[in-house]
Amino acid sequence: MPTASDHHSQVESRITGTFRDPAGRLVQRDGRILRVVSESGDSCARFLFTPKAEEWATQGSLIRTWRVSEPDLFTAGTTQILEHERIPFASYPYEWPAEMLHAAGTLTLRLALESLESGYSLKDATPYNILFRGPKPVFVDALSFEPREPGDATWLPYAQFLRTFLLPLLAQRHFGMELGSTLLAHRDGLEPEVVYKWCSWLKRLTPPFLGTVSMPTWMGRKEVEAKAYAPARIDPERATFVLQGLLHGLEKNLRKAAPKLAGSRWSGYLSTTALYDSSQFLAKETFVRDALNETKPARVLDVGCNEGHFSGLAAQAGASVVGIDSDPEVVGRTWRKATDEKLNILPLVVDLTRPSPATGWRNEEAASFLDRARGHFELVLALAVLHHMLVTERVPLPAALDLLGETSSKYVLLEFVSPDDPMFQRIVRGRGELYRHLTLEHFENEVRERFEIVRSTRLDGLHRWLYLLRKKDSRS
Amino acid sequence: MKSSIFHLALGAFILTASLPIHASAYTDPGSGAFVYQAAYAAVLAGTFYFRKILNRFWGRRK
Repeated sequence: MPTASDHHSQVESRITGTFRDPAGRLVQRDGRILRVVSESGDSCARFLFTPKAEEWATQGSLIRTWRVSEPDLFTAGTTQILEHERIPFASYPYEWPAEMLHAAGTLTLRLALESLESGYSLKDATPYNILFRGPKPVFVDALSFEPREPGDATWLPYAQFLRTFLLPLLAQRHFGMELGSTLLAHRDGLEPEVVYKWCSWLKRLTPPFLGTVSMPTWMGRKEVEAKAYAPARIDPERATFVLQGLLHGLEKNLRKAAPKLAGSRWSGYLSTTALYDSSQFLAKETFVRDALNETKPARVLDVGCNEGHFSGLAAQAGASVVGIDSDPEVVGRTWRKATDEKLNILPLVVDLTRPSPATGWRNEEAASFLDRARGHFELVLALAVLHHMLVTERVPLPAALDLLGETSSKYVLLEFVSPDDPMFQRIVRGRGELYRHLTLEHFENEVRERFEIVRSTRLDGLHRWLYLLRKKDSRS
Repeated sequence: MKSSIFHLALGAFILTASLPIHASAYTDPGSGAFVYQAAYAAVLAGTFYFRKILNRFWGRRK
């Protein structure tokens, strides 16, 4: 099935075939995303030019698509070539906070329901069909809508939706299981039989677990003959009624699985830790604003974005922002903020010191975070994050600077927190000896080997300095 | 609440109906959700004509 993973081929600058769905394959050519449609996918492709699909594309819910002529891509069995819009940055379900998986699930069910009216049905329901444009989900698996048999009352992706959306969300909400580890380890989601083992008897007998976990588990204990999967044909009006009922039932369960706002170690960090007084914080904000005005970046990476304050400043300055943080709770809050304030921020649960690996078949279905990020951003913000890399993760300073430089094509805005800073001393936990060499002079010497210092300032009264750096090889 | 009662009743019925008759060497772990969907669909299909009649009844009163 061509999915978000395939869409990523645009970043790889190489042609990647797709193999799960015989309906078509994606290729990348000169930065364009092209879809080669086969005979079996022709009826699915027709849906993309119906009024309903065009309405979704206008809303931004479905990837924009148009027909193109690329004669050399035609092979035996090819019926047409489509081109899709490019989504700025590909992300995968194991990098999303629960809020984003929930939004992706909500979109999937809405499109599945609305496609029924046009005589089509969604043939698969996996979060890999979705990418995010800023905080907004976009359905990108364009050949997923197939003509529906009017009397067919079965929605084949029902179980897939349970496994890949509902059960990971329920496991996160009720058992505190982070989506990152759940979905990275289980590409196809969680089976009801697995979640059943974690549930108390009370949970097993009450909604939403009764219908999504317990009953499928009990019913799965019986052998199912292959012929049971053959679609049953009933009166078309009745079949539509049943399908709508099934999808509304899933919507109801999805609402019950919606993530709750909870506190975490890093939530409310800026407002509660009193790291900066108001004038110091204003000075920091002013430095960041000036840097944004000066560098005018189209794409910004905010490393350690916390609840998205500085991501918000970059987005307000016109940049397309990817904000990353290792804490799913604060990333979820950033997503809520970006959605409420309509900011172009894609927040992801990624720890830059342990970034998402390449996954899938031959490790080629989903590229690693670093492969997607390398050189993609004109400005990388690393505010009060370097000392965590040095102390908590024990990454040497040169390696940390190299990595920040790799993700940026031009500028890095860095906050240096010296070993004299109280926060530095708190996280160093008595191992101060290891950082005796980390003087401002040593830091600047390492920086100058890789960057040109455009400007720097000390935050008054703090052992913290801000630097706007330009990569040495970025002048053109 | 209505939904809970519905699920409990359906659950009790299905649990009784789905107790294994004999031990199987192989069961498909994903099949339960499919069978549940089929059972759920059957219940929904059963309510279709009932709702239609009710709608007609309420339609006439209007």
